[in-house]
Amino acid sequence: MKKQILLYSFALLAFFSAVAQPIKIKGSDTMLPLMQLEIEAYMKRNPVQLNVTGGGSGVGITSLLEGSVDIAMSSRELKMAEKLKFEEKGLKLSVLAIANDALSVIVNPQNPIKQLTREQMEDIFTGKITNWKDVGGDDMKIVVYTRESSSGTYEFMKDHVMSKKEFTKTAISSSATAAIVYATSQTKGAIGYVGIAYVEPIVKAISVSYDGGQKYIAPTFNNAFNKTYPITRPLFILYPLEKEKTVKPFIDFLFTVYGQKLVTHKGYIPLK
Amino acid sequence: MNKNSIEKLVFGFFSSVAFLIVAIVVVILGFIVYRGIGIISWEFISQPPKNGMMEGGILPAILGTLVLILGSCLLAFPIGILSGIYMNEYAPKNIFKKFIGMMTNNLAGIPSIVFGLFGLAMFVNFFQFGVSILSGCLTLAILIVPVIIRTTEESLKLVEDSYRLSSYALGASKFETVFRVVLPMAFPNIITGLILSIGRVAGETAPIIFTVAAYYLPEIVLSLSSPVMALPYHLYVMATSGIDLTKSRELAFGTALVLMVIVLILNFSAGGLKLYFKRK
Amino acid sequence: MTFKKIREKFVESIIYISGTFTTLAVLFIIVFLFKEGSGIFQKTALEEGYSLAVNKFNPVTKLSPEEIKGIIEGEYTNWNQLRGNNDSVYIFTLSDIESNFTEEELGAEFEHLNQKISEYIEANTGVLAFFPSKYLDSTLTKINVDKITLASIIKGRDWYPTANPAPQLGALPIVLGSIMVSLGAILIALPLGVIVAIFLAEIAGETLKNSIKTVIELLAGIPSVVYGFFGLVVLVPFVQQIFDIPVGETALSGSILLALISLPTIISLSEDAISSAPQELKNASLALGANRLQTIFGVTLPYASSGIISASILGIGRAFGETMAVLMVTGNSAIMPKTFLEPVRTITATIAAELGEAPTGGIHYEALFILGTFLFIFTFSVNLIAEFFAQKRHS
Repeated sequence: MKKQILLYSFALLAFFSAVAQPIKIKGSDTMLPLMQLEIEAYMKRNPVQLNVTGGGSGVGITSLLEGSVDIAMSSRELKMAEKLKFEEKGLKLSVLAIANDALSVIVNPQNPIKQLTREQMEDIFTGKITNWKDVGGDDMKIVVYTRESSSGTYEFMKDHVMSKKEFTKTAISSSATAAIVYATSQTKGAIGYVGIAYVEPIVKAISVSYDGGQKYIAPTFNNAFNKTYPITRPLFILYPLEKEKTVKPFIDFLFTVYGQKLVTHKGYIPLK
Repeated sequence: MNKNSIEKLVFGFFSSVAFLIVAIVVVILGFIVYRGIGIISWEFISQPPKNGMMEGGILPAILGTLVLILGSCLLAFPIGILSGIYMNEYAPKNIFKKFIGMMTNNLAGIPSIVFGLFGLAMFVNFFQFGVSILSGCLTLAILIVPVIIRTTEESLKLVEDSYRLSSYALGASKFETVFRVVLPMAFPNIITGLILSIGRVAGETAPIIFTVAAYYLPEIVLSLSSPVMALPYHLYVMATSGIDLTKSRELAFGTALVLMVIVLILNFSAGGLKLYFKRK
Repeated sequence: MTFKKIREKFVESIIYISGTFTTLAVLFIIVFLFKEGSGIFQKTALEEGYSLAVNKFNPVTKLSPEEIKGIIEGEYTNWNQLRGNNDSVYIFTLSDIESNFTEEELGAEFEHLNQKISEYIEANTGVLAFFPSKYLDSTLTKINVDKITLASIIKGRDWYPTANPAPQLGALPIVLGSIMVSLGAILIALPLGVIVAIFLAEIAGETLKNSIKTVIELLAGIPSVVYGFFGLVVLVPFVQQIFDIPVGETALSGSILLALISLPTIISLSEDAISSAPQELKNASLALGANRLQTIFGVTLPYASSGIISASILGIGRAFGETMAVLMVTGNSAIMPKTFLEPVRTITATIAAELGEAPTGGIHYEALFILGTFLFIFTFSVNLIAEFFAQKRHS
């Protein structure tokens, strides 16, 4: 009996050995692969522990608000409501863009459709148009894939492509971007939206027109880099100024030549 | 068609259904083994994920699961066993005992996501433990306590009363009877239950998503307030996120296989122990 | 009192205390679930701390959440469709503030925000403005929105918990989704389970019985995320091809997985019930000339019926509460389920997918806890009912 008590206490003590806290990063699923790569590279060079979790930009911002993470990743700007919430808590934030992204609308490679206007995309994603033939394609039911509401990409899509309207209820919700890519590649009538870094040859990214069909622009690296592609957005990291000392070295790393090289390497659009 | 040939037909149908179920199990397990076995290597088990989960291994997830098992069992075993002892040996057989029994059964039936909600509300937020090993182990412990209580109770029930009576007759106190006579006899069965609950902890995802799980934490931090990776959550993220699902799919199968193997080993050893002790 | 006695008493008191553990745990769970969720009934279906306001010449004083959504979606374009004047509806939110005024005009800490909002509203008669309540002043007409009630959550058909400005919290499609996949699961698992149970109890020999039981236990031990993974990789494409439907993420896929998950429970409990039929009863039937089949259906099964009912009810409860497997294969669309070959969204998957984003104490968070409370109450009642039937058998 005594031995067991000792064993238990030993185990508990081992647990209590307060090792230095890892830097916790949370948020945008769009930015997750980039962050993971940056963390890997950074930890190779520095004796610091960092960890990252996804869940969507909304999750990251909420966690930052509650103080459970040190850095949040967001693929959208803070909503005014969120800014005010941070104000209320007295949390001054630093918001930095570390990369750019071109929001790509993807369809199945077998889908003959290669381009759509913004209005067509709005009608498709809100459920007004339900068959590909109504936009010049085959007679096939449109299957909309979307992210969950926690996603910054979801919110960005709503604000900038769908005039703030809601997604159709029949849309299939995924909690992660990769699932959308995979599902779109497997489903003939599928349409989805993902960050450019996620576009693989197994899906087709269509060109979009924001001027009623006069000019269609493809989501290529160059078009995104010189901002001719209409759906480009910055990717942000946010951290509370009070945590600046802990996170600054890592943040600086993100802006070094090597850190920015990883941005391009992963398929994102660099800042300059 | 007389009734006996109908019987033969129906029984034949029934046995094919039974074999169908067996076949389904074999297909599921076999498929995972088939797709996953190619990935399993020393590197897979001993390396952290690399290159955005497309390469490398699952070491931190394995370690994380081990830590969660250790923590939750340390918490749940004493409470569960003592509670089971209470129920079978000390509790007066009145309406309160029935009530507690009902509560235990209900706790066992609560969906795991509700435990996740509760863990978030109470441990992560209210006690401010944050997303941490502490929150995760506490949540998982509450999940498995009813299982342990049940198996402890049943194991104790299996010990015949004659042993207890003889012990009293020899002048032993209740305490001595329970701890020196009954418990040692019931221990093998209790251990079986403990092993099964370990299997349960290893496989649960919903309770840990919001209380402890991390997507990528390659070097495990042994602090009560740090999150960890865990096998079931890792399988979920490998199956649904990452950069390129076609590339990470193979790793997902490997993860599934490792998780299955751990759970199967635990279940089999529990079953094997049971048989071993039955023979004794 | 010897030292030994003191130690014994100490341990015994701990034993008595641990007896209360499960009751306390259940109590805590109820309290916390309720505490975290019930705040929602004090709130209106408008984002917390925010108000809607209109120009003082606008006679409209009340809007329902559906009407607000309709305005944003473009269904209502003129106030006269909403009992107001003939004026186009024009939404103005905080994000519009940023595009209409410069940072200087607003002030570095938003000091002039209040003033700017009032200016804008006065200048535009058809405006519907949405902003934090603290900027509301007497010159503006505030729009009343109803408080959220349990009925509105249960009957509402739109689940858009992050909609701006009015979150739509209609959980009916989600609740029906859970019910649908669970019922589907039982429809599959109950017959299969009872058949296997009969086979094990009455037909199979000892060795065969034990081997099959081992396999069933294997089935029971598979973690639900592994089921979900298998479902995602094998079942979903299979369903898509077999039924020639656009996607395989359907209620059917969910039901099939849930059936597999609840099968071991149903089989083992039914087998217990069937084996407990007294041999004398069976012998009597056989003596009267019935063969084994007739005995099973005429005597054994009726005897075991309450046990089997108990098993199936527990199976339903298990299926209803399952999270990971359904999250991965049902497509998570919050539509009113019509057929099994369409995606659905379950309560459990909704909680799992959305909880991370919901700020603690916010309306979304509370709504999810209400769903969790409902889940808890449902499984609690299911367990009670199942126990009732199980007791019936023993009497």
